[in-house]
Amino acid sequence: MIKRIVDWIDERAHIRDIYREQMVEYKVPKNLTFPYVFGVLALTTFAIQIISGIILIMYYKPLIAHAFDSTNYTIMKEISFGWLFRNIHAAGANFFLAIVYLHMFTGIYYNAYKKPRELVWIVGWVIFFVLLMTALSGYLLPWGQLSYWGMIVTTEIPMSLGDAPILKGLLGAIGETVSIWMKGGYKLEDLALGRFFGLHVLFLPLTLLLLIGIHLFLVRAAGISNPDGYEIDKKNEPEKVVPFHPYMTLKEGAYTMWYLALFFFFVFFHMSHFLPADNFEPADPLKTPPHIAPEWYLLGFYEIFRSIPSKFWGFVAFNLSLVFLLILPFLDFSPLKSARRRPLFFIMFVVLVISAIALTILGTMAPTPTNAKLGMFFTFTTFLFFLSLPVISFIEWGWYKAKGGQS
Amino acid sequence: MSTWGMIKTVFFTGLTVVFFFIIWIKNPFAPHHEYELPEEAEKIVFDPKAAEEGRELFKQNCASCHSLRYDGIYLMSVTAKPEWEKIEKTQGKPIIEEKDGKIHIRGYFVPRDVYEAVAISDLLGLKASFGKIPPDLSTYYLARGPGYLYQFIMDPQKILPGTTMPKLFFPEFDKEAPEKVAKIVAYMRSVNEPPPGEKAKRTLMGVATIGYFILMGALLWIYRKKIVSQMH
Repeated sequence: MIKRIVDWIDERAHIRDIYREQMVEYKVPKNLTFPYVFGVLALTTFAIQIISGIILIMYYKPLIAHAFDSTNYTIMKEISFGWLFRNIHAAGANFFLAIVYLHMFTGIYYNAYKKPRELVWIVGWVIFFVLLMTALSGYLLPWGQLSYWGMIVTTEIPMSLGDAPILKGLLGAIGETVSIWMKGGYKLEDLALGRFFGLHVLFLPLTLLLLIGIHLFLVRAAGISNPDGYEIDKKNEPEKVVPFHPYMTLKEGAYTMWYLALFFFFVFFHMSHFLPADNFEPADPLKTPPHIAPEWYLLGFYEIFRSIPSKFWGFVAFNLSLVFLLILPFLDFSPLKSARRRPLFFIMFVVLVISAIALTILGTMAPTPTNAKLGMFFTFTTFLFFLSLPVISFIEWGWYKAKGGQS
Repeated sequence: MSTWGMIKTVFFTGLTVVFFFIIWIKNPFAPHHEYELPEEAEKIVFDPKAAEEGRELFKQNCASCHSLRYDGIYLMSVTAKPEWEKIEKTQGKPIIEEKDGKIHIRGYFVPRDVYEAVAISDLLGLKASFGKIPPDLSTYYLARGPGYLYQFIMDPQKILPGTTMPKLFFPEFDKEAPEKVAKIVAYMRSVNEPPPGEKAKRTLMGVATIGYFILMGALLWIYRKKIVSQMH
């Protein structure tokens, strides 16, 4: 009986055909390495965030009189398993960003942003940007001290335009307008909380969903990249590819399970970092906490902004670092792909990784003059990575030509 | 895998693990203060029985300035108001506690705006005397930690010079003062942390969840090995 129903549906929906075409007959390179799993893990975490978010939204109240109590009393103490879903959502946000960063570094390492995958990278960058917006807006919702002051600092970043060497008046006015527009007034109140709530629970997740759909479509359209940097001709080199299912699905399924085990270790036993102590104090506009720093995933950019003495140039530098990431496929126009085959690129990649780590850790430290100098140095090395790419590409074009156009 | 490949794998994996350890678990670079909790006090703070006594001590010593709304404790001057009982019952939600198999109402959780509207003249009076409204202490155990709270209540000026919080416990006159302070901290802990039975359940749930995912991963891995070997 059930078989007949399934057959009836399949005759009309052709699900079995789609399954065969998309899963079994879809071939992927055999030599994919472990870091290729980060894409699937990011998708898993996105699903976790959506599910736990739906549960939380049922009890959260976006009004400043109730926001703090609805998170810390209703969700944490009153609702059965409310604590679990809040822990999952808070840890999930951190894991999501962590996995996305690892995914991005993997993409950079294997040069997965190059022709024919430029669009994959660009859409991925937009996902990253929207994700940062989602994280920022979500961080405001518990209405604790860190939420409040973190958002105050964020909304004041455009004000640094007023520090510009030229057109001070005009840029300053633009910066102030943007800042007031973000806050919904001169003070951060119910209006702002309502806006950020709406963005966080509806607009940004829907945008993310759409962008992730486009990202996955583009990955399928351009084909998955290869750690060795060669484009595999799937028809003529059948020994180099394997069916997506069951080879990849089962392997990545196992990794996903172990990832979830790690994730739930943090959820159940180590939440102190994801629910920081200072945020258990309700927001008080009259009391500035001693250390205001953004969450760890923004610290690198924050350190670039903070270590440069002029606010305006700090603002320019941190925006530039984002723009450089976006235009990476065009900065790096070398015909060679993958750090495995590009020693110069490999060295610069290590420089980038170490600078990014150093900037993030410096961001957690007190702003002493020595740290500011170190911050400037690592800002410089970060930019050195991006600016070295055209030079490396130029050299590699030489090698490529010398070998007679063979990579 | 080649030696060079091995070196790269170890290098990048190591870097990632060290990075997340510093950022998520223990950051030796970030500025932080440790507030010590004496050993005798620690025993009391983590003793669930001390919390009940702590609640009474809190009502006697703290509730003239501080509320603790998550456990139904409000300013004494507010609860003395004739209309308060009705406000509590109509606007608040009962905080239910199970004791010896019986359900009993421990107090009422009144929403912040309702409470502040009723208590506004009392709160402004406190602000006039102390310079600021003494905060509600519902979540302060999580915000400050036991060490800070203990040290602060014992000697507010030492921990936060210039604070208007008065010193209420004097070990030189009252031998039981450190014990009383520890009991108050134990009470604040009991409001923010699940009771021991619930905590054990959560631990068990965590271990079971983690175990489940490790096992499922292993089964998938074995299943894949089997399928792949059949295909070749």
